[in-house]
Amino acid sequence: MSKDGLMTRRNVPFELFDVDILNATDADLNKISKDMSLSLSLDEMKTIKDYFEKEGRNPTDVELQSLGQAWSEHCCYKSSKPILKEFVFGIERDDVLSRGDAGVMIFDDDYAYALRVESHNHPSAIEPYGGAATGIGGILRDVICMGAQPIGLADPLCFGPIDTKAELPPGIKHPRYLMSGVVSGIRDYGNRVGIPTITGGFFFDEKYTGNCLINVGCLGIIKRKDLGLNYVGGPGEIMILVGGRTGRDGIHGVNFASKDLTSTSQDDSRGAVQLGDPITKEPVMHACFEVNEKHLITGMKDLGGGGLSCVVGEMALEAGCGADVDLEKVLLKESGLAPWEIWVSESQERMMCSCKPENVDKVLEIFKMWDVLATPIAKTTSVPRTRLYWNGSLIFDMDLEFLTGGPVYHRPYTLPKVSSKANEKFPKLPGNDEIIMSLISDLNVASKEWAIRQYDHEVRASTVIHPMVGKMNMTGPGDASVLMPVPGRWKGLAVATGCNPWFTALDPYNGGMSSIDEACRNIVAVGAMPNAFTDCLNFGNPEKPDRLGEFREAVRGIGEIAKELNIPIPSGNVSLYNEAPGGIHILPTPMIVGCGLIDDVRNAITADMKKTGSCLYQVGKTKDEMGGSLLFRKFHGEEGQVPGVDIPHLKILMEKLLKAMGEGLVLSCHDCSDGGLAVAVSEMCISGDVGAQIDLKALGDLSEKVKLYSESNSRWIVEIDGKDTEEFENIMGDDVTCIGISKGDSLVIKSAKVDIPVSVLRKAWNDPIWNIMGGASQ
Amino acid sequence: MKAKDVKVCVLRIEGTNCEDEMAEAFSMVGVSAEKVHLKQLIGQSPASLARDLEDFDVLALPGGFSAGDYVRAGAIFAARIKSALGPQVKKFVEAEKPVLGVCNGFQILVELGLLPAMEETMTPVPTAALYTNDSARFECRPTVLRNDNRGKCIFTSDVQKGKLLMIPSAHGEGKLMSMDPDFIDKLQDNDQIVFRYVCGNGEPAEYPWNPNGSPSDIAGICNPAGNVMGMMPHPERVMTRFTHPDWTRGYSSQDGDGKAIFTSVVRYLTK
Repeated sequence: MSKDGLMTRRNVPFELFDVDILNATDADLNKISKDMSLSLSLDEMKTIKDYFEKEGRNPTDVELQSLGQAWSEHCCYKSSKPILKEFVFGIERDDVLSRGDAGVMIFDDDYAYALRVESHNHPSAIEPYGGAATGIGGILRDVICMGAQPIGLADPLCFGPIDTKAELPPGIKHPRYLMSGVVSGIRDYGNRVGIPTITGGFFFDEKYTGNCLINVGCLGIIKRKDLGLNYVGGPGEIMILVGGRTGRDGIHGVNFASKDLTSTSQDDSRGAVQLGDPITKEPVMHACFEVNEKHLITGMKDLGGGGLSCVVGEMALEAGCGADVDLEKVLLKESGLAPWEIWVSESQERMMCSCKPENVDKVLEIFKMWDVLATPIAKTTSVPRTRLYWNGSLIFDMDLEFLTGGPVYHRPYTLPKVSSKANEKFPKLPGNDEIIMSLISDLNVASKEWAIRQYDHEVRASTVIHPMVGKMNMTGPGDASVLMPVPGRWKGLAVATGCNPWFTALDPYNGGMSSIDEACRNIVAVGAMPNAFTDCLNFGNPEKPDRLGEFREAVRGIGEIAKELNIPIPSGNVSLYNEAPGGIHILPTPMIVGCGLIDDVRNAITADMKKTGSCLYQVGKTKDEMGGSLLFRKFHGEEGQVPGVDIPHLKILMEKLLKAMGEGLVLSCHDCSDGGLAVAVSEMCISGDVGAQIDLKALGDLSEKVKLYSESNSRWIVEIDGKDTEEFENIMGDDVTCIGISKGDSLVIKSAKVDIPVSVLRKAWNDPIWNIMGGASQ
Repeated sequence: MKAKDVKVCVLRIEGTNCEDEMAEAFSMVGVSAEKVHLKQLIGQSPASLARDLEDFDVLALPGGFSAGDYVRAGAIFAARIKSALGPQVKKFVEAEKPVLGVCNGFQILVELGLLPAMEETMTPVPTAALYTNDSARFECRPTVLRNDNRGKCIFTSDVQKGKLLMIPSAHGEGKLMSMDPDFIDKLQDNDQIVFRYVCGNGEPAEYPWNPNGSPSDIAGICNPAGNVMGMMPHPERVMTRFTHPDWTRGYSSQDGDGKAIFTSVVRYLTK
């Protein structure tokens, strides 16, 4: 036996330590947590000490490591769960089929669709290519383990300004480098596995410089009769580990995700970033679908954060079972891994399947046909404990309730001071021509074509509405993408993102609501009815009361609007501790991915103006809500009212607009968001390659600037053929305002002295990101 | 032969990822298509799954990233086919059965020596290659193709000469190159050029209408016999009008522009 402080190496032919926790002082407990990279607090270590006192023995290193994984914020949502429970859980609707690793909703009589979004922020800040690629791999597995075929990826990303020349703090990588690496990582993984990247978003702000956000979403489709479970069927079953081998990549990923980034994260945590392999994943998908469709397995779950240590316990406990694991059977990338490393490794491309003993051979044969490794490693038991053996020696024996239960914290929070109209400082502004050119070329508005066309957004041949719309090679921005996921059926699934981090920073409650409103607007703009949301809540350190206050208020806003709209959020993810060195924290970013249904995709609508001589309407009401607007950000306005949502009115507007669309009255439709009406109309001109004459008089008593640039929620711009205006107005009533016509080849707003050729608008919108990232443009 | 008796082998290995829509495209024109793993053709599968290439009437190599394309696009899949199935494939081609390669499938046909195959059915070494796009990026975008074949290619028997088709591209390596300085002339003389990229209005293409910089704007070629065709753009993605990128701007037919390539195969086999 050898002894290193509180760790005593056991005299066995493999690496195993007993940790003397029973005699440890508080200082010792802190040291153990730190030395073993457990990221557990003193209170948590004391709880563990109590547990082992009752067990009457010291823990092994494997057991402590396992607790470090299971009790991380990333795995057990210890700070966020009470808040989520209070505000967003419990929107029950009959068409929610599962709230498993991915949410699953009814699509039609025979099919269901799966949705989930999660973050891969910290790994991507260290190693953008690998971090983003494995983010895609992970979210695919969440959908696959429902038994669902992935059909689309949605990747909203937030970076610092990619053209910044400012000096970066130590350890921080340039945003341009990060964006280039992340987009390449998504491209190479998504394109290789053959799942189209159909929507997403790019958000640029200095606050993201030290901590970029990489959110990855995935949609899937499955026959309802084949919908899988993420847990075992009962005791006496065999758990089979399938896919990639296990290695030292991705050790302590969840702990790394559950603390702030530091100037030395690059060196300390490089090993926490996993390595992706899409060409292992692709056959894993085929094989997993085959064993699921043949009903040979009882449950399936992916190995993500915490690796085996999380998946085994969670799959067993959900069914009231335990598991006995033969850890030495796990196939390794290299020899010499300690048991604890095998147990917590987050190596990619691995799934766990459970099956009845009589089906093991059939399952193994299918994996063999696809050249995918599959190894039975565990047996389920009727005792809710996990026991690990290494060649027969017991090295781990813990109560599953204790292990996976984890602590829950009601941490203190302070409510944020909210931006108001009373404190508004309206900026000094140049002429409107100059303002519009400046807004349309802002990185947050400008064309994202540089990235979009590197992603295959058409593979699987089901993309009906593409991310960019309009004339070929003269396209502009779309609102939602639409898929027809079942061959031979015209029913469609619309997918869009919604988020306004600037609103959320100034007024988290209204910001949270606005994110949902935006997702709804985008979905309705293509003619679909919003059906479900999935959210990735990216916030700062929850141990700081003001950060937690922001989180709480944003979640309250999201919950309130989702409940009143009665649209469920069957899946989601929380990413906290998004703080860069020096205490700079990200903009609070509640990223929403929304799904909508459309009965017949052939009735879908795009944002590009279709012809000259049509009437243009604004749907909804513009209000004096300039807080957080692109205009204020660009020209240094301060405070102001952040847009709120009149939820009953939003509901009515969505229904009426969809009715008008269903009657075939709407030629094009685009939502009003960043830059307000002025930018929305400009974008429709760009994608339609046609001008517009706008008259602001009908919008009432508001100031010209508010009419043009306010970002009030629940608004759309629509194009209606002259012959249909009466019927359209009959349906919409007072909720629409005629604002002009499509005409000529310039955007003209006489009263505001705006006259800009569409070709000039297009160039201003198209070029900025191409110019920074390099490459030719349209 | 009746359409319903036509059997299509959609061949795949790990990383092939356009096999679902390729099989679906053939089903949409009334023939039966089976997705077959290479292992099923070379005796490496359970007996119940074993298949014989000879029993099929059409061989289709779909797009994707076979084996990851980590060496050179299509190289690994081609090497595996050649070593285990070379003679059968050659026989299949010499029987004048249609062989279609799309995107990665085109790259595989070139690596296999089945295209351009000017001197013999299957050249022992590749005589051309699909190089990295001039932009050095993966390009997913609509492309417009003109049928420039004078009548030899069986995959365009349903398409008027000079007709423009919108068939989208999605690849990083699509620039057809050869060491032979007279490569293009020979292709032209042999009537091996099938599709050229053009602008939306039919004028000669520039980037991005030619997304990869392929010389003479070549998007697809066939063998001298006309029964093996490879093309970079994806006809299986536009079987209906509603997957075209601009269909909301108006359309005359509910069929997509890619469908004619598949009906051409059926016409050839059922005539």
